[in-house]
Amino acid sequence: MTAPRPVLEAENRLVRFNGERDAILEVVERRVTGAYLAAAERSPDASLEYVLNDVAYAEIQRYEASGGQRGKKSLGRWRDLASRLGRMSEAEKRAELEKLVAHYARDVVGNFNPRVYRFANDILPPVMSVLFSPVSSLKEGLAAFDSMSRRIQIDGELEAVRTACDRGTLVVTPTHSSNMDSIVLGFALRVAQLPPCTYGAGKNLFSNPFISYFMHNLGAYRVDRRLKFALYKDVLKEYSTALLERGFHSLFFPGGTRCRSNVVESHLKLGLLGTGLAAYRNNLMNALPHRRIYVVPATINYRLVLEAETLMEDYLAETGKSRYIIEDDEFSRLGRIVEFVRKILVHEGSVVVRFGRPLDVFGNDVDDRGESIDARGREIDPATYLTGEGGAVTVDHQRESVYTRQLGARIAGEFRRETVLLSSHLVCRAVYDAVVERTGTPDVYRLLRLPTSAVSVPLEDVAGRVDRLRAAVAAHPELGVVDDRVRAMPAREVMDDAIRALTSYHTKPVVQLAGERLQVGAMKLLYYYRNRTAHVPASGEPS
Amino acid sequence: MRALGVVGAGGFGTALASVVARGGHPVVLWSTSPDVVEEINRERSNRARLPGVELAPSLRATGDARELAEQARLIVVAVSSTDVRDRARRLGGVLDGRHMLVHAIGAAAGPDDARVSEVLAAETSVRRLGSLAGPALPADLTAGRFAAMVCASPFDEVTAEARRFLNLPPSLRLYTSRDLLGVEASASLSGAYTVAIGMADSLEMGPGPRAVLLTRVVAEGQRLVAAMGGEPKTFAGLAGLGNLLVRTSAQGGENAPGYQFGRALGRGQRPESGARLPDAVRAAGAGARLARRLRQRAPILEAVSRVLDGELDARGAAALLSDTVALEE
Repeated sequence: MTAPRPVLEAENRLVRFNGERDAILEVVERRVTGAYLAAAERSPDASLEYVLNDVAYAEIQRYEASGGQRGKKSLGRWRDLASRLGRMSEAEKRAELEKLVAHYARDVVGNFNPRVYRFANDILPPVMSVLFSPVSSLKEGLAAFDSMSRRIQIDGELEAVRTACDRGTLVVTPTHSSNMDSIVLGFALRVAQLPPCTYGAGKNLFSNPFISYFMHNLGAYRVDRRLKFALYKDVLKEYSTALLERGFHSLFFPGGTRCRSNVVESHLKLGLLGTGLAAYRNNLMNALPHRRIYVVPATINYRLVLEAETLMEDYLAETGKSRYIIEDDEFSRLGRIVEFVRKILVHEGSVVVRFGRPLDVFGNDVDDRGESIDARGREIDPATYLTGEGGAVTVDHQRESVYTRQLGARIAGEFRRETVLLSSHLVCRAVYDAVVERTGTPDVYRLLRLPTSAVSVPLEDVAGRVDRLRAAVAAHPELGVVDDRVRAMPAREVMDDAIRALTSYHTKPVVQLAGERLQVGAMKLLYYYRNRTAHVPASGEPS
Repeated sequence: MRALGVVGAGGFGTALASVVARGGHPVVLWSTSPDVVEEINRERSNRARLPGVELAPSLRATGDARELAEQARLIVVAVSSTDVRDRARRLGGVLDGRHMLVHAIGAAAGPDDARVSEVLAAETSVRRLGSLAGPALPADLTAGRFAAMVCASPFDEVTAEARRFLNLPPSLRLYTSRDLLGVEASASLSGAYTVAIGMADSLEMGPGPRAVLLTRVVAEGQRLVAAMGGEPKTFAGLAGLGNLLVRTSAQGGENAPGYQFGRALGRGQRPESGARLPDAVRAAGAGARLARRLRQRAPILEAVSRVLDGELDARGAAALLSDTVALEE
């Protein structure tokens, strides 16, 4: 599975992060402030008064909604700024802008503590293994750690990713199903002998002091999704750009937030994704063309998802009422995490992380040496895509937004191609299709109202459908890949594997055996796990 | 790379190249026919495609794709849809990421019904792509009569560069759009509908039924463009309705192969087996297949397709259309 290469060889560039932290902040502040000042000079629509008012208005709204004593104090400060804006001189406005940019940049910036990193790598996993393992002794716990690589299966184009990582800077872009993703992916990178990445973690994750301590000291930077105004987003993007320019491998979840419905994500958020291109362009303009940036699509595939119940409830909630940030789900309850890890993650094949082939920041393939190639396999110079009329590399944000949209479309395609279908996905799809056929309605809301006691499907029918589904996916690699283990099983074993999982963790069994039939126990979850194959047409032929 | 590049020395490509050259821009025209290259460079004419027209002195033809790539950053591809893959493949060997390709082809390319921009992206490494369409006939261009086209590209720099060369008021005005897919689809579909209008005109249906057919064409075209992911309003613009009106008009229809083909079908004539079909006719077949794939109602294209397949004659198609259940407009 992996080449015999010492883990230490995967250079951890984050060890030099603290030494460059101040310089990164300085660059971020200078560029963001400079861009706003230049825009204000060009157009009255971008005047500093407008920018500052936009920030103050958004912050006042936020603190008015949040309440609390601390909120009241902050609210007062923002109201004061809003009331002073009309009387401020240009110099005062400029000073206020600089202060705000510095404030948000310091709110975002991460930290890297090598001692915490060593602890997290060397000491924490065995302890966690003991905690999460069904076995109870330390000796067995340590042995369990040794077998972690079997628990989280790593798959895909590992050698190509390692080459890209030696040659340039990685932007790992995984699918996002669970808050476990960053932990699972961090572990997967280590097992795959790839270096650690910095990433933007939702600020809500920092509310747990234990998790916050590790996040904050392992290079993660804070993303406050409540701050939706342009100035904050620009600080965040410039910070990410500066990290990539300096060679810090990064991780973005381009889906933005955890996918509620469990479909393979196709609508990607492009804000942070575009920072890879911006960093590459900056490197070119600084005469550093060899500093390549590679985008690595990855999929994290769970047989069962920790927060499936909450996410599906949220998805099915009336449109417009779904929550972007969920703070009271299964991930917020340590007991549920422990139960999930002990019951689910310890079983072989319950999580598969699959890395796709690296792409350049335009979505072109790259060859084994890390050179960009076009659709016909010819080597190309990616710098040429950024040239202006005179042949030199130029800054053109509109041009870059189009390239980033194209990159997003390519990643979405790769997500499908690299999706690993596990037993729960195949069986839930088979059962769901059979139910749709029997009831004569594809309307999920009508299906959800059916009494589950009335919904069962013959095992033979499910087995046939599982076989047809596997054949359809095998014939169309662009639709994904069936997990090796599941591919080798007879259909009946696939069903047993799925039933074991689907009856062991969720509050209600998703499906269970009832004689020679499969009885549906939780239609919403059946739909949730079925959705992983929603892009596979019923006919098996892609449209 | 100061020149405008043009690929294809057909009527439209040559006329466009000549007009831009007269506008004061250097133009290099690439043709795979050595005779045509020589005739343009030596005699300032392209008699087979633009009889009686003297071409601008600063228009230079070449048979060497490398020369085209060296001299032009923006290149307009104006060949038949059946030739575009071959030309794109040849260009793929000489173009790079600096270039911009804008095509003026009003039909899907090849047997897989791929959009022309998809073919250009697959065969070359050029990413800055666009499409040029509208009611600009070669005769209007060379005579200096007022004409207008739209250039669509998601890249503003492509449309800006196209405007730099092709916006030549008062004779030629270039509008811009970001809806590349919409313009490509509209250009292709409007060509397809010229076959339907040609059939109807041949049956001498009268102005009322003709007007009904035209409005149904607009509704159907907008529906299909939207289903493909374009802006429905694009079909009502230069690339769609503009193209359709000029190619089904009394004068413009004379030189519109799709319209003339439709008229011939209306008279009961059938194309010879294996004959090379005009782009507009190929677009009609592709449009009907697309509508089926997208599960969209497209009774007009479906009727044309059935006539082309020999399942119906033109009168049968007209009867079928008039029987179509009227729905909310």
